[in-house]
Amino acid sequence: MINRKKLFKRIFITCLVLVLGGAGVVWFLFTKTFQDTANVKADYIVNALAFLQEYKANDTLANKKYAEKIISVNGRVSSVEHADTTLNVKMEDSTGAYIIFAFQQKDLAAIKKIKEGDAVSIKGSCNGGTYSQILETVYIAFKRCSLNK
Amino acid sequence: MKKTILIAALTVLGASVFAQKKTTTSATINFDATTKLDALPKAENKTAVAAIDTKKGTIAFEALIKGFNFSNPMMQEHFNSAKWMDSEKNPSATFKGKITNPADVKFTTDGTYNANVEGDLTIHGITQPVKTTATLIVKANAINAVSSFTIKLDDYKLSNAGGKLDNETKIAIAADFK
Repeated sequence: MINRKKLFKRIFITCLVLVLGGAGVVWFLFTKTFQDTANVKADYIVNALAFLQEYKANDTLANKKYAEKIISVNGRVSSVEHADTTLNVKMEDSTGAYIIFAFQQKDLAAIKKIKEGDAVSIKGSCNGGTYSQILETVYIAFKRCSLNK
Repeated sequence: MKKTILIAALTVLGASVFAQKKTTTSATINFDATTKLDALPKAENKTAVAAIDTKKGTIAFEALIKGFNFSNPMMQEHFNSAKWMDSEKNPSATFKGKITNPADVKFTTDGTYNANVEGDLTIHGITQPVKTTATLIVKANAINAVSSFTIKLDDYKLSNAGGKLDNETKIAIAADFK
């Protein structure tokens, strides 16, 4: 009889731990946010013009390699554009192909100081690249970017 | 000779100042499918490509699906997965449309105009007609455009996850054309 009581108690405690553990995991997954990109190690470090060239040569292969990876891009700013209430930075090659970077909210103050022609290093999550039917050129886009110091 | 050069110069200048196709590479698209059950399915894409042809009255947008940024990594992964947007197979969303009341929009005169827009929206590889209105602010030869409308997830064969996502998903667009 005592053993049975102990057994039920153990089962109850095990179930309680499993339920609480499961709830904890669900809570963690649903409340998790992306880490500050500045603190994430880059999977690749590339030069802007060489990066564009790689995409122009074969965007399917390039997307397999770079899409959804954290990449640091070194290059020269061709323009800073308004994206509604925030700012994007653009690096363009001589053919009009370009890389566009959308920044984390916390990095906007630093972006406001950037000017056309500045040499910068930007780290962000690569959305991939494609050929724009509208602009008739290749472009690569990034989100959650951070300016490397 | 001088007169010819002057006319040629004015023609080139005029063509550049009043260029009929204006574009942006930083249009923003907000996606909001939140419900009382789930506040997470909303995202923003800040790097959409867009163009407006002021002579033909056409408007076009392109956005990479992987460019939609969610606050929650799990939600972003689910959004792009083969079970939902399948962004590997359908990497972009596009809109091609035109202004149906061109007489009410004067692109050569500064002002705020209400445009009626109709076109085809392609998401998840499925194209559906869309009708909406847009507010266009013409100022100093640039055009700011904002529009919002809803899409039905069903129409694009996108699941509403048993009611956790709003089948009447809100889309808001903003673009500064130059």
